[in-house]
Amino acid sequence: MAMARRVPQLVGLANRNRNRNRNMSFKSLDPSSSLTHGIHVFYCPDAVGIVAKLSDCIASRGGNILAADVFVPENKQVFYSRSDFVFDPVKWPRVQMEEDFLKLSQTFNAVRSVVRVPALDPKYKIAVLASKQDHCLVDLLHGWQDGRLPVDITCVISNHHRGSNTHVIRFLERHDIPYHYLCTTKENKREGEILQLVQNTDFLVLARYMQILSGNFLRSYGNDVINIHHGLLPSFKGGNPSKQAFESGVKLIGATSHFVTEELDAGPIIEQMVERVSHRDNLQSFVQKSENLEKQCLSKAIRSYCELRVLPYEEKKTVVF
Amino acid sequence: MGILRRLCSSWNLIRVVRFGNNNSYNYSYSSFDPPNPSSSNSFLTHGIHVFQCPDTVGIVAKLSDCIASRGGNILSADVFVPQNKLVFYSRNVFVFDPVMWPRMQMEEDFLKLSKAFNAMRSVIRVPALDPKYKIAIIASKQDHCLIDLLHGWQDGRLSVDITCVISNHYRGPESEVIRFLEMHGVPYHYLRTTAKNKSEEEILKLVQNTDFLVLARYTRILSSTFLRSYGKDIINIHHGLLPSFSGINPSKQAVDAGVKLIGATSHFVTEGFDAGPIIEQMVERVSHRDNLQSFVQKSQNLEKQCLSSAIRSYCELRVLPYEKKKTVVF
Repeated sequence: MAMARRVPQLVGLANRNRNRNRNMSFKSLDPSSSLTHGIHVFYCPDAVGIVAKLSDCIASRGGNILAADVFVPENKQVFYSRSDFVFDPVKWPRVQMEEDFLKLSQTFNAVRSVVRVPALDPKYKIAVLASKQDHCLVDLLHGWQDGRLPVDITCVISNHHRGSNTHVIRFLERHDIPYHYLCTTKENKREGEILQLVQNTDFLVLARYMQILSGNFLRSYGNDVINIHHGLLPSFKGGNPSKQAFESGVKLIGATSHFVTEELDAGPIIEQMVERVSHRDNLQSFVQKSENLEKQCLSKAIRSYCELRVLPYEEKKTVVF
Repeated sequence: MGILRRLCSSWNLIRVVRFGNNNSYNYSYSSFDPPNPSSSNSFLTHGIHVFQCPDTVGIVAKLSDCIASRGGNILSADVFVPQNKLVFYSRNVFVFDPVMWPRMQMEEDFLKLSKAFNAMRSVIRVPALDPKYKIAIIASKQDHCLIDLLHGWQDGRLSVDITCVISNHYRGPESEVIRFLEMHGVPYHYLRTTAKNKSEEEILKLVQNTDFLVLARYTRILSSTFLRSYGKDIINIHHGLLPSFSGINPSKQAVDAGVKLIGATSHFVTEGFDAGPIIEQMVERVSHRDNLQSFVQKSQNLEKQCLSSAIRSYCELRVLPYEKKKTVVF
């Protein structure tokens, strides 16, 4: 399963003009004084000495580790780590960093070794797919506009037509993001066209997209696809989970963000959130609470993913640092 | 479905005035002295009244007037009328002077209102005067919930009378549970069960004088015959967040599913398996750092809390049936 396998192509240091809207406490990159954040995630067969080698690599280049998470599950012989460090890009150029970690990756036969320097690397490019329900889509767009969602939205694809006067269309036009309306039917899910539209993206976000993507599509696309399910999986899979929940008399409802796999609503879970409901809730307030949870849960999952916090764990699970 | 209906009907059989019952109640009033009708001391006692009837204008007015006319002072009230359902629910907590408003009179007054409004349910409870609910606890091998209930009962946090503990798991005289029960004079009945013989007749005999049953991780499914014969409410704890992971070993199912939240559900037992109306649910976060052992530990912790909370709500008359599969929990 191809989770986070794609490494954003290393665009050289010449792309300094990507520095807009960086919420960093450091000033704009001035070679003489500034430190830049770097993130490195590492996933390899377990052995003695990995942490020592990784931290030494960073230290030897003048990097200072600010946070580290190491996780070695019992009896599984795998090693996961995520290090957050600051460094001087003059003393440790980006290309050199890539080489250094590649060497370690080869030494330890890593399943995954990804380094990301948010200030230098291009933002992740995503396409957002939505249907008629647009609360998640709108929330993502606003988060993107406010700089809370550090991605580049290449386009929005939907099987629902939106007129030129709608909030979504006006917003997208204002920000120069194309909206592609692809009418789908049971026979034709337009997957070929979707594939073409998303071929230059790093991952996809299904923001309450109601069509099921086929195994073919997932294999052809090859990158990660994150979905929001408006229910607490594995409860209430399938359609209208709010109504299912309402009728079943549960006292808690939730939302689940997860990776999309061939099986419906069954891919590895990234994040789950709940809220209390009671007899005082009707279907409308169930739906409202649910929508609120979906927005938060999806944003959180995307943010964790972009920060390299999400790693595959066994067949159906995730490590989320 | 007769949730609490059995409680109601069993109520009518119980003697109302029991001034002799000096069970220890945790009230903020000083220790309860049986009031002497001729005494001029007046002190206030808590009463709880729940009411469920077809909706109409004026119910709250009549209920509150009834209480006020007897000198009762309403301390809190919950009223709930769901949209388009034409049914009315209320729960009032009030203080009153049992000299000015004797228990039997209270029963009559509310009965009158109950008839006037054609109520499906009208239950009063005066914890200081009425006998505690009698319960039997049924458990299997897992005893964390059972022990938690026993300790809660001992500490007075669980305001019930435990008539007996029934189990399909043998416990020796040195076990913590047996020693505890012996110390408190509560019988322990070991009933061997098999898939064919669930010993339900014996269980029925043992529990016939109880007000409700608690299944504290009892692993046998009670048949519909048993449920009909017993006739009263049964509260179960399910170690999972229903409807997820119904059936056995929900902790392992949860671990395998990679969920980030696990939970427990307390609910009434009906014929569908793990499907009765839910009373309470609780969750806790889990992550990659949890293994099966910590999943189980977190789950057991949730089960204890969730079951206690449900029993307490039930005893405080907070739980009412709502439509077919749900509950109102005030």
